Amino acid sequence: MTDKTINVQINGQVHQAAPGETILEVAKRAGVRIPTLCYHEALESVGACRLCTVEITHPDWKGWKGYVTSCLYQVEDGLQVETDSADVREIRKTLLDLLLARCPKSDVIQKLAAQYGVKSTSFKENEDDTVCILCGLCVRVCAVKGCHAIGVGGRGIEKLIAKPFNQPPPDCIGCASCAHICPTGAIPFEDVNGVRKIWGHEFPMVRCEECGEPIMPEKQLAFEANKASLDPSYFTVCAACSQKKTVQTIKTAFDMRSIGVADEAPAGR
Amino acid sequence: MQKTFTITPSRCTACRTCELACSFRHASNGKMGISRIRAHMFDEPHNQILTCFQCDEAACVMVCPVQALVRNEATGAVEVVVDRCIGCGLCSIACPFGHMTHEVDSRIAVKCDLCGGDPACAAFCPTKTLEYK
Repeated sequence: MTDKTINVQINGQVHQAAPGETILEVAKRAGVRIPTLCYHEALESVGACRLCTVEITHPDWKGWKGYVTSCLYQVEDGLQVETDSADVREIRKTLLDLLLARCPKSDVIQKLAAQYGVKSTSFKENEDDTVCILCGLCVRVCAVKGCHAIGVGGRGIEKLIAKPFNQPPPDCIGCASCAHICPTGAIPFEDVNGVRKIWGHEFPMVRCEECGEPIMPEKQLAFEANKASLDPSYFTVCAACSQKKTVQTIKTAFDMRSIGVADEAPAGR
Repeated sequence: MQKTFTITPSRCTACRTCELACSFRHASNGKMGISRIRAHMFDEPHNQILTCFQCDEAACVMVCPVQALVRNEATGAVEVVVDRCIGCGLCSIACPFGHMTHEVDSRIAVKCDLCGGDPACAAFCPTKTLEYK
């Protein structure tokens, strides 16, 4: 914490925070749970899902209240936050009702909605069986990886996670980070016979030099080795085989010592 | 000087208490954690205990796209910032020694963090194979 700390009241308890921190960051540190879908600490917050909405007020605001997304709102001294008041629950209920209308088949949304007492949506259900809530986490993680292969396209009801010109994205390296980070598991990918199928691409995968298990797409290997300035050989052995190799190396070293190749005998022998 | 693991393989009986201690120390949500340490058995008294070497120029740190692996200056351990990890699994592939793995469901990276300076494996080792000094 910096030298300048400010006091924020969350659910009646005073917590210390640094200027520039968001309400969500302070709440997480304090152990106060706020539901989120589109938030990830490693990525820029955009407030897309709105689920982290909280109620704020301040002694200087003459009783006025505000409802803000806690992942974006920066704390100020004396701020009073309610993370689970009746109004906040009502807002989240409406949000989940809407999300459930868009993704009636998503079990993540169903579970979250059930926590707020929403069994089924009061709106017209989406006929599409999509589970994408359009939060854009995949787009942000792709940008952080340095690929910028996918983007958010369209407006309003036509909004979608888009591939450029609806073709397999030329910048995609097949790392599947987008699929792993998606809160609802909406991005399909599969590894079949050493080929990764994602976003309409079919990437041949590098196989482990030892056991032959597919590790990652060849295109990703070239990308990662270049990005981290590491030799490509760092990525050609799977974790299990790397450990076996380490064990063998150490064992060989021991064997050499016990037959007198090395300077001294191993301890205890 | 920073403390470090001292391993005396000739004392190891491969009882795997270290693995168990590690699993218990890293338990969460009522489940045992993945052991960050591995005992490898050999027929001769050269059983090996392997865990993260906490490399100075660590490949895992170099490849992480979101800086989720940071060194704890107090203990010298490279630690996973769980909330930052995006689960890409690159670190476990890049580690030349195979000391990293990840959770099965969440894909969060898993590695030895020296238990914040008091490793459970060393504390529970019955034969003093593992010492942290």
